[in-house]
Amino acid sequence: MRRGISGIVAAAALAVLAQAGGAAAQQCSVNVGVVYPTSIDWGKPIAATALWVAEMMNEAGGVDGCKVETILRDDQNDAKVGVDAAKALVDVNKARLLIGTVASGITIPILTSVTVPAGTMQISCCSSTTRLTAMASEGALKGLWFRTFATSRVQASVAAMAAKDAGYKKVTVFYKNDDWGQDLGRLAVAAFRSSGIEVTASIAITDGQPSYRAEVTQALAGKADAVYLALYPKEGIAVVREWLSLGGTNKMIGANSLKSDDFKNTVGMQHLGNFVGTDTSTPRTDSAKGFVAAYTAKFGKPPAGPGLPNSFDAAAIALLAYHAAGKEATGAQIAAKVPMVTDPNGEKIVGDVEGFKKALALLKQGKPVSFQGATGALVFDKNGDVSAPAVIWTFAASAIAEKRYIPLEEVNAFIATLK
Amino acid sequence: MSGVVSYLVFFATMAAILAIVVLGLNLQWGYTGLFNGGVAAFFGAGAYVTMLLGGRPEPGQFGGFLLPFPVAIAGGILFAGLLAWFFGALTLKLRHDYLAIATFGVAVALESVARNAEWLTGGAKGLRGFPRPLEASIADNFLYGLFFLALVLAVLAAVYVGLERLVRSPYGRALRAIREDEEAARSLGKNPVRLRLQSFVIGSMIMGAAGGLYVAFYAFIGPQDLAPILTFQVWAMLIVGGAGNNRGAVLGAFLIWAAWTASGFALATFAPQAMQLYTGPIQYILIGSVIVGMLLWRPQGILPERIGQGRR
Repeated sequence: MRRGISGIVAAAALAVLAQAGGAAAQQCSVNVGVVYPTSIDWGKPIAATALWVAEMMNEAGGVDGCKVETILRDDQNDAKVGVDAAKALVDVNKARLLIGTVASGITIPILTSVTVPAGTMQISCCSSTTRLTAMASEGALKGLWFRTFATSRVQASVAAMAAKDAGYKKVTVFYKNDDWGQDLGRLAVAAFRSSGIEVTASIAITDGQPSYRAEVTQALAGKADAVYLALYPKEGIAVVREWLSLGGTNKMIGANSLKSDDFKNTVGMQHLGNFVGTDTSTPRTDSAKGFVAAYTAKFGKPPAGPGLPNSFDAAAIALLAYHAAGKEATGAQIAAKVPMVTDPNGEKIVGDVEGFKKALALLKQGKPVSFQGATGALVFDKNGDVSAPAVIWTFAASAIAEKRYIPLEEVNAFIATLK
Repeated sequence: MSGVVSYLVFFATMAAILAIVVLGLNLQWGYTGLFNGGVAAFFGAGAYVTMLLGGRPEPGQFGGFLLPFPVAIAGGILFAGLLAWFFGALTLKLRHDYLAIATFGVAVALESVARNAEWLTGGAKGLRGFPRPLEASIADNFLYGLFFLALVLAVLAAVYVGLERLVRSPYGRALRAIREDEEAARSLGKNPVRLRLQSFVIGSMIMGAAGGLYVAFYAFIGPQDLAPILTFQVWAMLIVGGAGNNRGAVLGAFLIWAAWTASGFALATFAPQAMQLYTGPIQYILIGSVIVGMLLWRPQGILPERIGQGRR
C-alpha cells in the first residue's frame, strides 16, 4: 500500500521534474526522519525549513543519486509522542538519519532509548541544554549526536579573549548560582586558565541575598586585576556595588545578561569606563544574508522565528554528510562524514541548489567542502557542539556600543588554542 | 519486518505503562468517584523518586544512590502514596469538579517544583542515566526490549488481578456504594472519609509504579513529562475504554495510545508531501474527534461497567 502510493507520488514528482528539465531520474530513495513540534506555532517553520532543504537537495541530485524522502512527525512537545515517532522512523521507516527535535526533554530520551541504541545519527537545530554536552563528553552518545545551536562556551571563550586583549593577569569570577551561571562560570574559569590567566577565586552568587559582603571580601583577598561577572542585573548590581565600595577594581568583564540599562544606571557610568561585555552574534557573512533572502523568497516573509537558520544548517549538513557516506551508509558512517562537510580547508559552498550541486560533485570525488551556512561556517567539536560569532561591547552614555565583532572563524581559532 | 516487531514491542511497552496509570485512575474515578485532575503529579512523583534512588550519581546533583531497581521503584510508589495521603487528607472533602481543580493544582505545583528545584530534580535539564534492571546481562537491544515489555506486562497483570479482587470484594462494593450515595453508605456503617482516602492513595501508588517503570524505560525524566497533557491522555483512555471496568481501562489505554501514535504514522505515510507540515494539527483534530465521538455515542465506554456479573 505504502509502496504503491509513494510510487505514484514519486512518479508524479519525477514527471514534474522531467518537464522542468531538472535532475536526472532518481530510481532509489533514502528515508530521512524529521521530528519537530509541527503542531506548535513556532515549530512549524522550523520543520518547513528542514523540508525545504531536502527539496533543494533533491533538485540538486539527491543523496548519492537517491531521492531524499523526508518523513515528518510531530512530537507535540510531548516526550512520549516524540520518542514513539522517532522509534517508528528508525525501526519501521529504517531512517538512518534523524533530524530533531527542539525540546531537550524530548531530544534526550530519543537519544538514549532510540537513536543511540539503533546507531542512527541525530542532529538538532535547537536543543540547548548543557546536559547534552556532558552526555557526549562521557561517550554516551557514541558520536552520533550534533546540534547547530551554540552553547555558553562561546561567551566564556570570548571573555578570556577580552581579558587577554586587555592584558589582565589575574581574574576573579562571580557566577550566578543556577544552571546557566554554574555552566558559564565553569567554562569561563577553564577558558581563563588555558589562556594563561590566573583565576584567583570562583565564587557562587545565590540570588535574593540582602548582602554579598562575605563573597566580595573573599574575592578581594585574591587581589585580582579584573573581575568576571556571569550574573543577572539584579545580583550584578548588588555585587558590583559592594565590590567597588570595598576597593575592588573597576576592570570588569560581563556576560550578555548584564546588557541592561538598569545595571548601567544603577552602577553608574563613572564606574563602567573599563567594563566590557561579551555576547554571541548573528553572523555577518554573505551566506547568512543569502539565507534570509532565499527564505523570504521561498516563504514570502523573512525568517523571524527562533531556530530557523539553525534548522537550515542542521538539515543541510546532515544531508551532505549522508551523500558523502553513500546511500547504504549507517548512522555512524554518516556522522563520520560530517567533518568532511564542515572542513575549514575545503572549498566554500553555499546553501542553495547550485551550491548543493557543487558540493555533491566535490564530495563524490572525496574532496572536503566548507559549508557556509545560515549561521556561518559551522564546525562541530568532539561533543557535536558548534560555536557562533561573537561581539565585545561596552556601555556608552546613551546606548550599548559595539567594540569589536569577532567572526566565527576567529572564535573557533581562539577556542582551538584553549586547552 | 524485524523493525516492525521491534517498534511494536516498544509501542506495547509504553501502552502497558499507560494502562497501569489508567487502572490507578479507574480505582479512583471508576469505582470510587474521585475526580483526580492531577494524575501527572502522582505519576511524576513515582518517576522522580525512582530516578533519585536508583539513578547514577552526577556531580553537583542530589540523588543517584544506585539502589537496586525493586528498592528504587518501591520508594517511588511509597512517595506517590505519601503525597496522595497528604493532599488527599486536605482535599478529599471536596467533591467532583472542586476536587478536580484542587488535584490539578497539585500537579501544576509539582511540575513547578520539578522545573525549579535544581539541586533535587535537575530543574529544566531533568534527570538522566538510569541503570535499567538486568541491562548488563542482556546485551541485545531487541531482546532487552522484549524482556522489559515482559516486566511491564507482569506489573500490569499483577495490578489488574489485584484490583479485580479488590473491587469484587465487599471492600469494592463499599467503594461503589460511596460513589453512588455517600449518605446511604454512611447509614450502613461505612466510613466514607477513610474509604475515599484509601482508594485515592492506592490508586496514586499504582500511578507512581507506572512512573517508576517509565523512568526505567526512558532512562530520563524531566518536568515536561509532568505536563497536564498526560492527565488528559489518561482520562481519555479511561473514558473511551469504560470507567468502572478494569478490562475497559486496559483496552482504552492500548486503543487511545495506538490511535495517538498510529494517526501520526498514518498521516506521515499516506498524506501527500505538500500536506506533511499540517499533519500535526490534523492529528490533534482526529484524536479530539474520537474522544468527542465516544462521549456522544458511547459515554459508558467500549466495555461499560458490569455490576453483579462475573463474580468469583
